[in-house]
Amino acid sequence: MKDFQNIKKIGVLLIILVLLPYITQARNIDPPFNEHEYFSFDCDLCSCSTSSGSFGFGTLGNANFIGLRYIYQKFESKKGIFENSPISKETFNTYQLWAQIPISNALYINVSLPYQDLSRKIDNSNEQINGIGDSNLIGWYKLRLYKKQKDSAMVNMGRAASGHALQFGVGIKLPTGKFEESLADNVNPGFQIGTGSVDGIFSLGYNYGSNKLGINTVMTYYVKGENKNDYQFGNQFSYSANFYTAFPREKVNIMPFVGLSGDIYNKITQYGETLNDTDGSITNATLGTEFAFSKCILGINYTLPVNQDLFGGNVESKNRFSLYINYAL
Amino acid sequence: MKIIKFTFALLLCATISSCSSDDDTENLTGKLGNIIIKFDNGVDDQDFIFGTSYNTSSGESYKLETLKYLISNIRIKDNNGDTFMYPSEKNVFIIDEADGNNAGEIWVTLNDIAAANYTEITFGIGIDQDRYALGADGQGDFLAKAEEEGMMWSWATGFRFTRLDGTYSSDTVTDEALNIHMGSVGTAVDNYREVTLSLPNMAIVREDKTPELHVKADIAKLFDGTTSVSFDEGYSQVHVDETTTGVIANNAMDMFMVHHVHND
Repeated sequence: MKDFQNIKKIGVLLIILVLLPYITQARNIDPPFNEHEYFSFDCDLCSCSTSSGSFGFGTLGNANFIGLRYIYQKFESKKGIFENSPISKETFNTYQLWAQIPISNALYINVSLPYQDLSRKIDNSNEQINGIGDSNLIGWYKLRLYKKQKDSAMVNMGRAASGHALQFGVGIKLPTGKFEESLADNVNPGFQIGTGSVDGIFSLGYNYGSNKLGINTVMTYYVKGENKNDYQFGNQFSYSANFYTAFPREKVNIMPFVGLSGDIYNKITQYGETLNDTDGSITNATLGTEFAFSKCILGINYTLPVNQDLFGGNVESKNRFSLYINYAL
Repeated sequence: MKIIKFTFALLLCATISSCSSDDDTENLTGKLGNIIIKFDNGVDDQDFIFGTSYNTSSGESYKLETLKYLISNIRIKDNNGDTFMYPSEKNVFIIDEADGNNAGEIWVTLNDIAAANYTEITFGIGIDQDRYALGADGQGDFLAKAEEEGMMWSWATGFRFTRLDGTYSSDTVTDEALNIHMGSVGTAVDNYREVTLSLPNMAIVREDKTPELHVKADIAKLFDGTTSVSFDEGYSQVHVDETTTGVIANNAMDMFMVHHVHND
């Protein structure tokens, strides 16, 4: 019930945030903001299996950038097998260096390297782990879609962009973070700096940008490898859809967005056997905005789970907050 | 397109190299390892806590200040069907809730277990007639320990297999004494029972791998197992009575399950 009220609150906030600029100043967006080639995508297939590729909706900003992102996440996990077993309160701080680097007109790559700082509190004891996390490298091919040419009059003008584009991504996640088997029992299996595995990343994105609205959707499938502890996180499907708009001001372009995202996890495998209660799914609602000052983009967003069932209900994602500053390349 | 090809190639390499061969050709003969069994007492889906009031299906409630039981003759079966019996002289344990760690678990460590992949565990609740027939001297150090822990009546009567002390309340009484001391009565009544539990995942014992079996023991089953009992109707003081001890002994067989196995 409490969650539902929260959702309602957030819903109201969302509407206000989206409508506010319209109310204060109704005007057409000029120039159309798809001129910036919007939408980059980054999946934070982070160390922790519960942190998801879905919130990888990174930046609304310029297609190519180099930047820093900070992510704050909270989880509550049950330490023990009973309803009244103690709760472990987990805080994940991620400091991520990320970039989208152009290769050619249609090709670009995403790279990310996080530093993880994780802590959890059970009863009165604190535990902390930190270090370099797992890094991602994804290559993208972008297919722009063009309007159909109707008349001969159009022929000499070249093809007109339709605003629609598809992206195909293939990537790899490297075990640059450390996986500690001793942490894998009972409590949140995602409480790890890294998964210790090499994973494959396969992604399909679609986006559309018009004068007033932008849509960005991406679906990603992660094929998880086995690590040296014969421990293999379950394959993961992540999706996200974001809707944004833009309000250009003299010095800054404000782009608020709302989004829905989610992850579906398969069971963890160890020594060739699947482990019970290690699968799950989560759906999140996100609210955020970006501020673009010429070459610099400041982004901020807040995510709250709408629906979740992680690790047999033993792990609960509370909320997450992300802040980033990117420099357009 | 070059970069895509490159990425694909990289990915392919990674995929192939991560496919390790899981052939079971490992020679385990003569290799030994350890197993840890964690007994975790609960009441239904609640972790057991001393002094907390729990309800039974017959509308009565109970609170405990002592909760102990005897486990013996632990043996485990591997995925080839071979059974490993833990050495008899060491194979008897008092599981005392008061010995629980901060997670409420009572750990039993079994050393020098044959390295194998185990799928099933069997153990006895109480002391069997063979062990009892060894006589007082044949019990080794365990006799003194059982006496110290209040898990003996007298030698002639034998061991208490369960010791639950506390109080109960019903429609008619409040905080009356509750003592469930179930056991065999000499050689006249045999209340030793065994349970076999399958493991949800294999327990992989190696020289350097110590699996942990997390055994959940549901105390509620003692009163609401195969037979539901009423404290008011003869089950508040269970001692050497043939009938009531037998009912509790049978109920105790429903208490245990292996919740999960944690492999190293």
